[in-house]
Amino acid sequence: MDFNGLSIDQAPPISGPLRFFITAPLFGIMAGVMLLFSDSASLMSRYSMDAIVIAHLLTIGLFGFIMLGALTQMLPVLASANIPKVKFVASLSHMLLLIGLLLMSFGLTQNNALALFLASGALGGGFLILVVSMLYAISGVEHFTASVKGMLVSLIFAFMIVIMGLYLLYGYAQNNLTELHYIVANIHSVWAVFGFAGILIIGVAFQVLPMFYVAPRFKQFCKKRVVLLISTGLLIWMVLNIFAEQYALYAKLWIATFFWAFATTVWIKFNKRKRPISDVTVWYWRAASIFLTLGSFLWIFDEFFKHQYIVMVGILIGGGFILSIMLGMLYKIVPFLVWFHLNAEGYMTIPTMNEMIDKNLARVQFILFIAALIGFVFAFYMPMALFPSAVAFIVSMMLLEYNVLAPVWIYIQTKKRKPDFDMSSFSMTN
Amino acid sequence: MSSIKEYLTNDHRACDEVFAQMEEKANNSLVDAKEITQSFVADMERHFQREERVMFPEFETKTGMLNGPTEMMRQEHSQMRNLMQQLLGAIENDDKDKFFGLSETLMILLQQHNMKEEQMLYTMAQQHLSADAKRIVEMMDSLVVE
Repeated sequence: MDFNGLSIDQAPPISGPLRFFITAPLFGIMAGVMLLFSDSASLMSRYSMDAIVIAHLLTIGLFGFIMLGALTQMLPVLASANIPKVKFVASLSHMLLLIGLLLMSFGLTQNNALALFLASGALGGGFLILVVSMLYAISGVEHFTASVKGMLVSLIFAFMIVIMGLYLLYGYAQNNLTELHYIVANIHSVWAVFGFAGILIIGVAFQVLPMFYVAPRFKQFCKKRVVLLISTGLLIWMVLNIFAEQYALYAKLWIATFFWAFATTVWIKFNKRKRPISDVTVWYWRAASIFLTLGSFLWIFDEFFKHQYIVMVGILIGGGFILSIMLGMLYKIVPFLVWFHLNAEGYMTIPTMNEMIDKNLARVQFILFIAALIGFVFAFYMPMALFPSAVAFIVSMMLLEYNVLAPVWIYIQTKKRKPDFDMSSFSMTN
Repeated sequence: MSSIKEYLTNDHRACDEVFAQMEEKANNSLVDAKEITQSFVADMERHFQREERVMFPEFETKTGMLNGPTEMMRQEHSQMRNLMQQLLGAIENDDKDKFFGLSETLMILLQQHNMKEEQMLYTMAQQHLSADAKRIVEMMDSLVVE
């Protein structure tokens, strides 16, 4: 029996998740800058190079990095699953993903085949090393809770979308876009959003909401069945999408219904939570719930309008739902990690979590982020809204970077200065 | 009679409830929250001692693991005891910001601690100590806090 999950020495070193969290907002800034220089017409098409690059800077660079970083931290705590050689795996995978994503962005915008080949190697390597290590860690878990099952299923979807992504990149590198390419692209994006990110969030919410907000627990039906029902829906949708597209709508309805139900459940649970606190993380959960509801409905609605709203669906669900939850979580996890590691190392007089990030800056960051999202949606009808929205997004990402770095700075300074090791009782002088 | 796992897990949830009530009170007035904070600290202390004085030693004797998970849990208990003392201090100083800063930190520390225990340690304890579960639960139930 492996007890390492319960030992601080074996707890993932703080650098594992932090390296992902620190890099993530930078990709947000990059995506924002690209948005500034794109015209809204080309962004309307999901298959324009600008749209693909911006989408991946956000999905891989911003929320992918946050998710992966959080998973290295959460697997040991939530699942008692220890990633083998976690420090090495996290830093190698982080480096490969970083290089791969930059190469991919360069390769797609400049139509450079060599960069795309290299990108597929780096991205494939980076993702697979981490995802397979995590799956391996989960395979050793004896006691499967609903959250662990959610993580497992979500990682299986992650594995599949990475393989599909590599196929797609290969298509661009070869400059050979077949009919199959577009079918795979569609499955890749739907599975990434609902299968990987969506199921991961739902799985983690089962545990996190009742525990951290003292909200009512999820019903057994939710915990036992929902992940299975959604994954089945996603599989059926894929089959229908390939072989009987006219019926794919029914599978979409099935999937959207569960996500809408989840959004509503989250809203209700927050209303019934027993903790009175209402910080920016609660706002983020609330916003996520609203955006997910709108996004789920629009996803179905879009089916009747020749998919002309699909990018808007992406903004609502990718930005409004997934990203909101990632950012809200970041505001808790970074200060906690800093506090926990410093405290466990014997530093007693350190700031509390709430003192590490300026509350007002967090609020401003939230407001700018939400304003940018709403602006992006309106940019469909008013192209002139794109520029100010992109600026708001860039500023919100800069603030996010600052808010992530503030606790990290406290960590570095405390370790450097060693202000107290509670040595006062041993002190003979002064 | 409930199992060791159920018994201690219920203890966690009961402490969560009191924690939420404590924050609710403190949100209105720190002075009024003094009593419930003291009773929260007492509940937590009772739970810690149920583990440290009853369940952990039984687990350690049975499995022979002295420096394993139980030791780590003891360290986290001491981190929490320290935070709870500071929480009482914040009430004395009527410092609301400090109080909620500490309560938030305590909450996250507490919950990730609970997850580790419920996910792993209690399940293990249940497996190794099942033959003595009834006696152990009774001992924990009748424990007098020192």
